[in-house]
Amino acid sequence: MKIPAWAAVPALCAALGACQPEKPQQQDPYDLSKMDLKPQPAKVTNERHTGAFAEGAALSFGPELKPLDPNPVKTIRLDTTHKIIEIAPGVKYSAWTFGDQVPGPTVHARVGDKIRFSMTNRSDEPVPGVRMTAAPMMHSMDFHAAMVSPQDKYRSVAPGQTIEFEFTLNYPGVFMYHCGTPMILEHIASGMYGAVVVEPRNGYPTKADRQYVVIQSEFYAKLDPAKRKVDGAPLYVLDGERLRAAQSSYTVFNGVHNGMVKSPLAAKPGERVRLYVLNVGPSKTSSFHVVGTIFDRVWMDGNPDNQLRGMQTALLGSSSSAIVEFMIPEAGSYIMVDHHFANASQGALGLVSTEVKPPVPELEHHNMPSIASTPTDPETARGKLAFESKCLACHSFGQGRKLGPDLAGVTKHESDQWLTSWLRSPEKMLETDAHAKAMLKEFNNIPMPNQNLSEAEIREFIKYFHWADSQPAGSAAAPMAGH
Amino acid sequence: MRALLLGALLAPAAALACGYCVEDKVAAAYDHAAVSSALKASRTVVFFSIDGPLQSGDAYRRKLESLFASTPGIEKSSVRLALEAATVAVAFDPKRANLGQVQNALERRLAPLGLSLLPIRVMERPGDLAAVRRR
Repeated sequence: MKIPAWAAVPALCAALGACQPEKPQQQDPYDLSKMDLKPQPAKVTNERHTGAFAEGAALSFGPELKPLDPNPVKTIRLDTTHKIIEIAPGVKYSAWTFGDQVPGPTVHARVGDKIRFSMTNRSDEPVPGVRMTAAPMMHSMDFHAAMVSPQDKYRSVAPGQTIEFEFTLNYPGVFMYHCGTPMILEHIASGMYGAVVVEPRNGYPTKADRQYVVIQSEFYAKLDPAKRKVDGAPLYVLDGERLRAAQSSYTVFNGVHNGMVKSPLAAKPGERVRLYVLNVGPSKTSSFHVVGTIFDRVWMDGNPDNQLRGMQTALLGSSSSAIVEFMIPEAGSYIMVDHHFANASQGALGLVSTEVKPPVPELEHHNMPSIASTPTDPETARGKLAFESKCLACHSFGQGRKLGPDLAGVTKHESDQWLTSWLRSPEKMLETDAHAKAMLKEFNNIPMPNQNLSEAEIREFIKYFHWADSQPAGSAAAPMAGH
Repeated sequence: MRALLLGALLAPAAALACGYCVEDKVAAAYDHAAVSSALKASRTVVFFSIDGPLQSGDAYRRKLESLFASTPGIEKSSVRLALEAATVAVAFDPKRANLGQVQNALERRLAPLGLSLLPIRVMERPGDLAAVRRR
C-alpha cells in the first residue's frame, strides 16, 4: 500500500518533536541564576537606635505567627540588649537578647522578599538601679536565611554601634538567626536567637487554621557567685562548665520552663494546626512530638519540597527545623513534648488546647506546675522544679489522692527525719517501717519507686514541702498531672 | 625604612588583617569597662592581631601581659590579652605617641619571642570601632 506523502508529515513531526504545541517548561524554583546573590555591602555607623528594641511589620513577638506582610521589602530592626529574664519559676537569669526578648521576635517573609535589617548593639544602655546584667560586649547577627559574606554582614559591632545590611530570601524554610560573636556557644546559650519563617513564593500547599512558632533551646544556669538578688530572688548566670559539657539545667520551648503549659496555644476541634518548630540548641537534639496527634505533614527545615507524611516525631538537630501540621481530632489538650524525656523533664513541654484554660488534671505527662506561687529561696525553688518534674504523675498538692497521697500538709504529720528516710530509700522503709507498710496497703500495694535522689535533692524536696505547707490555703491547691 | 614598612602595614583594613572575622578577634579582647575608662581619659584603644608562635598556659599569658603593660606609652591597666584569638587590646595617649610609635615599641619587645603585631581596629570615641586607615 502506498502511503500518501501528506500522511507521513505528522509521523515525521512527532519523531522530531516538532509541530506540536510547546509544553510550558516547569521552572526550577531553585534556579541559581535567578537568585539575588549580589547583596550590597553592610554599613556600620555610630548612630544608635533609640526607643523600641525591635520594629517591623514582619515581626511576630509571641508564638502566634502574624499574617504575611504584603510589602516585598521587609524593614526590621532587632537591637541587642542585656536583661534579666525568668526562665523558670524563681530563676532570674542574666540573658543577652535580640529585640529585648528570648527568643527574639520571629521574622515572617516570603521567597523573593528583601530583608532590610538594622541592629544597634545596646548592651551598654543604662538600667535602673544596680546593674545586674552582663557587662556590655560586642555582638553580631547571623541569619541562616541569608546567602551573604559572613565577614561583611555578620561582623561583630561594639556597644553603641549600628550595623545595617540587606539580603534577598532565596529558599523557603524556617531558619535560625543568632549572634555569631565568639564564644558563639555562650551567646546562643544566653538567649541570642530567633526564627525567620520564609514561605514558598506561591505559599504553602495546605491551609492552616492556626500557625504557631515553637523554638526549643537550652539554658545552662548557676547561682550568681556574687550572690546578687533581683527583686528578692537569686540571680542566675551562665554556667560555663555545664555549657561546655552540654549538661543543660533547663530545656524549654519559647524561652520558659513549661511556659506553654501555663499559656497554651489555642485551637478548636477539626482545625488544622501548623507549628513552625525550630531547635536552636545550642547543643541538644529534639525529638518533637505532640501527644494525641499524628503529623499529617512534616516539611523538614520548613520547606514543603522536603515532605514526610504520617510522622509521630520530627527529629531536629541543633539549628534544624520543621513545619509540622496536624488535625485536632476532638476537644482536649495536646501536649507538645521533646520525646527525649530527659529534655522534657527540664521543661520542654507545652500544650495545644481547645480550652482557653486547659483542664490540667486531664494531661498525660507530669511536668505541670504544682502550686501557683513561687519560692524565692534557691534550694526551695529547685525542690519545686524537681517535684514538678518527678512527682506530679502520682502526687498532688491539695487536689486529692492519686496513685500516691496528696502531699498537702505532709510536713505537719511527718517528721523531716521520716521524710528523709522515705525519700532516700522507700523500699527499705517498706521493709522496716510500720507507717510505710500501712501506706502501701492504703494505696493498693503500689510502692513508690526509688527516685535515686542525692542528699542535697532530698533536702531541697523537704524545704519545698515546708514552703508549700506554709502558703495560704488555696494557693497550694495545685493543678496537677494525671494519667 | 621602618616608617615605610609601617605605612605598608597600615593599609585599609580589609587588606590589613587576616581577612577573616576581624571583629571576632576584636570581640575576644573587647572589655567594655576598660575601653570606656580609656576613652573617657581621651586615650586611643587599639586592637592588635598577634602574629607568630604563641604558646598557651597561664605563665605564658602573664609574661605577655606583663610585657605589654610595661611597654612605655601603654596604659598599664588597659591591656586585655585574648591568647585563643591571638589578639591584644591596649590604650595609649595619642598626645604622647602615635599608633606607629606604639606598635614599634611593642614589637621591639616582642621580637625575641618571634611575635609581631598587626593593628586591626582602633577606637578613639565611644561606639566608634574603626578600621585602621593609612596615615
